[in-house]
Amino acid sequence: MSDLSVRQLSKDFSTAAGTLSILKSSDLELNRGESVAITGPSGSGKSTLLYILGLLDVPTSGEYELLGEKVSGLSADRLADVRNQKIGFIFQDHHLLPQCTVLENVLIPTIPGRENAAETKRRAEELLKKVGLSERIDHRPGKLSGGERQRVAVCRALINNPVLLLADEPTGSLDPRTAESVGVLLLELAADQETMLVCVTHSLELSNKFPRRLDLQDGKLVEV
Amino acid sequence: MTSFRLVLNSLVFHWRTHLAVLLGVIAGTAVIGGALIVGDSVRESLKTISLKRLGGVDFAVQSPRFFRESLASEISDAPEFQKSFSSLAPALSMTAGLQRSADEQIHRANRVGFWGVDERFWPMIAPDSAPAPQDRDIVLGSETAKALEAKVGDQISVWVELPTSIPRDSLLGDREKTSQELSYTVSAILDQQTTASRFRLNPSQQMTLNAYVSLEELQYSLELGAVRSRTGGDEKPARVNALFASAGPAAETDAALGQGEELSKLIQSKLTLDDLSLRLRPLEDKGYVALESEQMILDPTVESAGRVAAEKMNSEISPVLVYLANELANAGDLEKLSMYSVLAGVDRNSLNEKPFGPVTMIEGEWPEQMTADEIVLNDWVAADLQVHSGDKIRVKWHVVGSHGELPEIDQFFTVKGIVKFEGTPVDDQGFTPSLPGVTDVETFSEWKKPFEMDEDRITDRDHEYWSLFRATPKGFLSLEAAEELWKSRYGNLTSIRFAPPEETSLADFTDSLRSAIPASIEPREAGLAVLPVKFQGLQAAQGTTDFSGLFIGFSFFLILSAMILIGLLFRLGIERRVSSIGLLNAVGLHENQVRRLMGSEALIVVIVGSLMGAVASVEYARLMIYGLTTWWVGAIGTSELELFVSPVSLVTGCLIAVFVAAVAVWWSLRRFKGHSVRALLAGNLEEDSRVSDSSGRPKKIAIISAGMGAVLLILVGAGLIPDNEAFAGLSWKVVMFFVVGMLCLTAFLNGLSVWIARDRLSAVQGHGSTALGHLAVRNAARNRSRSVFTVGLISSATFVIVAVAAGHRNAAVETPDFNSGNGGFRLIAESSQPILFDLNSEEGRRKLQLDQTTDSEASALWQKTEIVSFRYKPGDDASCLNLYQTKLPTVLGATERMIERGGFKFVGTSSDNPWAGLNEQLPEQDGLPVYPVFGDMNTLQYSLHKGVGDRIPVPNEETPEAWLEIAGMFDGSIFQGVLVASEENFFRMFPEQQGFSWFLIGTNEPPPAGLSRADADKLSGMLETGLDAYGFDVDRVADRLYAFLQVQNTYLTTFQTLGGLGLLLGTIGLGTVMLRNVIERRSELSLLRAVGFRNRSVGSLVVWENLFLLCWGLVSGTVSALLAMTPHLVSTGADVPWSSGLLLLAGVFATGMLSVVFAVRQAVHTPVLSTLRGE
Repeated sequence: MSDLSVRQLSKDFSTAAGTLSILKSSDLELNRGESVAITGPSGSGKSTLLYILGLLDVPTSGEYELLGEKVSGLSADRLADVRNQKIGFIFQDHHLLPQCTVLENVLIPTIPGRENAAETKRRAEELLKKVGLSERIDHRPGKLSGGERQRVAVCRALINNPVLLLADEPTGSLDPRTAESVGVLLLELAADQETMLVCVTHSLELSNKFPRRLDLQDGKLVEV
Repeated sequence: MTSFRLVLNSLVFHWRTHLAVLLGVIAGTAVIGGALIVGDSVRESLKTISLKRLGGVDFAVQSPRFFRESLASEISDAPEFQKSFSSLAPALSMTAGLQRSADEQIHRANRVGFWGVDERFWPMIAPDSAPAPQDRDIVLGSETAKALEAKVGDQISVWVELPTSIPRDSLLGDREKTSQELSYTVSAILDQQTTASRFRLNPSQQMTLNAYVSLEELQYSLELGAVRSRTGGDEKPARVNALFASAGPAAETDAALGQGEELSKLIQSKLTLDDLSLRLRPLEDKGYVALESEQMILDPTVESAGRVAAEKMNSEISPVLVYLANELANAGDLEKLSMYSVLAGVDRNSLNEKPFGPVTMIEGEWPEQMTADEIVLNDWVAADLQVHSGDKIRVKWHVVGSHGELPEIDQFFTVKGIVKFEGTPVDDQGFTPSLPGVTDVETFSEWKKPFEMDEDRITDRDHEYWSLFRATPKGFLSLEAAEELWKSRYGNLTSIRFAPPEETSLADFTDSLRSAIPASIEPREAGLAVLPVKFQGLQAAQGTTDFSGLFIGFSFFLILSAMILIGLLFRLGIERRVSSIGLLNAVGLHENQVRRLMGSEALIVVIVGSLMGAVASVEYARLMIYGLTTWWVGAIGTSELELFVSPVSLVTGCLIAVFVAAVAVWWSLRRFKGHSVRALLAGNLEEDSRVSDSSGRPKKIAIISAGMGAVLLILVGAGLIPDNEAFAGLSWKVVMFFVVGMLCLTAFLNGLSVWIARDRLSAVQGHGSTALGHLAVRNAARNRSRSVFTVGLISSATFVIVAVAAGHRNAAVETPDFNSGNGGFRLIAESSQPILFDLNSEEGRRKLQLDQTTDSEASALWQKTEIVSFRYKPGDDASCLNLYQTKLPTVLGATERMIERGGFKFVGTSSDNPWAGLNEQLPEQDGLPVYPVFGDMNTLQYSLHKGVGDRIPVPNEETPEAWLEIAGMFDGSIFQGVLVASEENFFRMFPEQQGFSWFLIGTNEPPPAGLSRADADKLSGMLETGLDAYGFDVDRVADRLYAFLQVQNTYLTTFQTLGGLGLLLGTIGLGTVMLRNVIERRSELSLLRAVGFRNRSVGSLVVWENLFLLCWGLVSGTVSALLAMTPHLVSTGADVPWSSGLLLLAGVFATGMLSVVFAVRQAVHTPVLSTLRGE
């Protein structure tokens, strides 16, 4: 049994014109330490798949197990717990809280937990050091560049040592040079922490860095 | 990182949004806390006014009797008194009519409190002002001086009722000379702030009319002064009718009740028969002593005390009721007669033994039980009438009519026996109480005649009898029969004869009886109740109207608007951070945790805002109090309100505001429930914007509402809706119009929903303003529920405010109507002195020296005038003009004539003549009688807090003697502030009240004839001039109703003003909604600019959208309200303040348009490129 197992996953949307199927019985198996890039044309359902994997959206049908736990039918609060403890999410728009400093933003996911505050802070500082932002921990997001913000978002995604790291076009809004560095960083950190990394991207440069690539075609995942 | 840290960061970072919310909370707290402070201030101010009104007077005894002035010094010398009280002052308390003539003009002040005072009382009420009046000085209160336009040195005529021992409306009462004119010179005019200027015992915040003269001078003027005997002692002590005591601060607390009891006991211990207008008349030759009253009748309290004393002292008694028969005649030969004979009702059993018997019969018998038509005559009169046992005689006597007239009635009696007279126990002048001017004069011609006597018919034998035996009874009835025929409301007996027990001398027995009888009479039963006036005044200061509640009600829209604004602003702030919320959810915070974070953030703002609002509430309250003492002074009738800030109210205001604001925040946060995290992350909270025609339900509602409204209008127009009462005094027609108004509003709102939904389906095309307007409507439809909700708020608030404004009434322009609040009457009058005679009859007017004119116009006016007189028992003013909590208002006694006449508008009764309900017999409660009364709805609901079926104790809750049951409610009537009972029940409760003092004047002719306004003015002048000795004061009914309605209208204005402020604030809410719409659509607006729309066009688009919603709300609310109020608007009394209403609506419109400026700024200042890139 894989650490992440998705079977026959489907997602439909109702529209005025009728039902629109985005995902059609897709399957995915993944183990810790494994990284995969998912590519596909716009509107193919890449982000939808990612949000379902991140428990931010629910499938119309299909089964989803994470570390042996069936997460498809969990309550909203339990889903939040799973997201907090096992999943890290990196969004294209990084979604940093403008009212918080870099360090505070990284620490946001630790709020619901009961971990020692000093320990979480030490870990956050360590992560920020790894991504080269140790000098900017007291800065607010408004003072950072796009690449820096995305690196903060990466640190935030990793602060709770997730088993699954999801990245939605993490370099989509970055210039090629910064995108390159963020992509490399993502893969390094995922490897360091033995985290499963699923990255949705349009970028060939980025996807080519991944050992495994999947293409979403007509609602189904196809190995490239 | 902690939740608290996150909250703090958010507070600092989003300070602009929080500042707006904070301002909303400050406004809400200020309004709520301010309302509570206004309530406190009114209560505290009323307390202050009470203390000013009473000065050093803590307790008062105000009696219908005149008792010895020396009672005051006897009590104050007692050590028990000195323990609890500091001073006691006697006074004369009267009601007078004052006049000042100047330049052929007469200035009048009626119903003036007229006080005879000396240096004992004066320091209690005017310690540092003018010296106490001496000789013929008169000191005027400020209001009296104002009414008379008097100054120091002016001559003032005072008309005051002459004290009388014998009730004027009893047979022997003096009806001819009832008042006395006294002349004084003004020695001082009191400052308005002096207690003496505002002194009155009944609580009221309104200024009163007062005048003060020397006690001694007034006593002598009214024959109440001390009369010295030749030996130097008091033959007749000086008299007063009031006592006032000071006791210090304890009298302001509950302790006053105990002190009052103490004072009452002291009074009882010092009371003498003289204080109770009683005397003991020892008849040494007969061997008994008779208890008699100066009022010629023993009231039930005295009778009962006499019987108790007799039992205690083991004395045999013989109660007697005597009456004057005008004529006794042989029924077989009416020429055989005897004039002006006294007949006595006696208890036959008491005549068996000495000293009251035994009697000797010459003929027939004197059985123990005689029927009501049997009589025993003495042999003197039997000889005059030439009658024998078994013959019939006719007896004529006067009865006393309700207007002092003395119709003569007769009855036939069978002579049961002839009793031997001379030298026997029935040859006894002691049967009849002594009456100066009658029983002590030698001949009939010397009688001080209380009525016209037919002296020609008095026979020589009558003269001889009077000369020898005076008022010794000539005939005897059973006591029961006599009581049945001649009892009055004042009592059943004229005397009680007491026989001393064996071996007790008459002198010793008389002495013992002299103290035993007063000891058995409670001071309150004798009209000497001690009232803890200061304590009661302070209690009454709690107020009839809860001004806190009232102002919260008035500020309802203001509070609602503030709270909606808080909700909208908070929501606006949150919506701008919706992706942050999504992020928090995404990283694993539970939905509830996120809401708690947001809620905590809001709560901190709310708490800080409420604390700041507490400070603002003091200023808001100051503004409201300024309003109440200036713009809205009509509602409270005093400008003496002062700000009083209670910490409890401040805290309560904060807590309420925090609660209400928390609800608003909770309502806002609810919106975020159930959204997917993904949607939140995308910042998407919009309604599902896919095009669909969801107007089906609103369309149905709009059609049904409009249809039902139209049908109801047709039914009303066709006269198919009855005009009788539906509920709460509202007719079916009025209710129907209100329903039509509400249906109209519903149709408008649902119509809006349908219209904008339909419009969304059509294409936006064309160019210029038309296309922009079209696009604006389309934009309004972008979030249809939000737009309809906003318009709903504005239209509902407009509806209420316009309806309230349209509810203004001006009674001054209302015409008399039998079934309205004026009852068809033109004038209302009150007199300072009671009037005994019938103002409707020529005879009555002649006795009052009215109608002396030969002016035919005046005679014609009298002919068509109808004056309905009411008995009057003064009490608290329970009208809405009085802010104090009243216990027992003035009670009026309605004559049978009034009850039969009927009229006035009633609430909750369908009877043809509801007045008949006053004659209903009600079962007793706790052994006490229950009498039905009517009251005005406003008086009952807002002043007395009573409804139909509720009961009010008389005279007070502590010692009730009867209950008044509310049997009906007048609607908006001239009877505000009083209760109306039947005359019969009135006298059962207040037998001591004489004559009539309250009048309604109208016409006895059916419309359109009757009293014109000119007639009414002329009549008013004739009555006031002709009855100036009675202090007759005439007002137009319309003016009096206008004064009452002023309060209601002022409240409406207050509501309209504060509601208007609320509406203005609500309009700012509309601006907030617009701003939200613009923020949500900034990319669209940027796109418009990108494709070539000028900033002006984009701004116009936003303005059009706002204009459309604002106008829809204002027009729909106004039209619906006017429709609902149509019956009132077409009535004669409608007095709509159109200008202020229009001004308010214009203000709302302007504020709405002004608030949209922010939205326009946001729309045109958003950078096009970054916004589009963001997309």
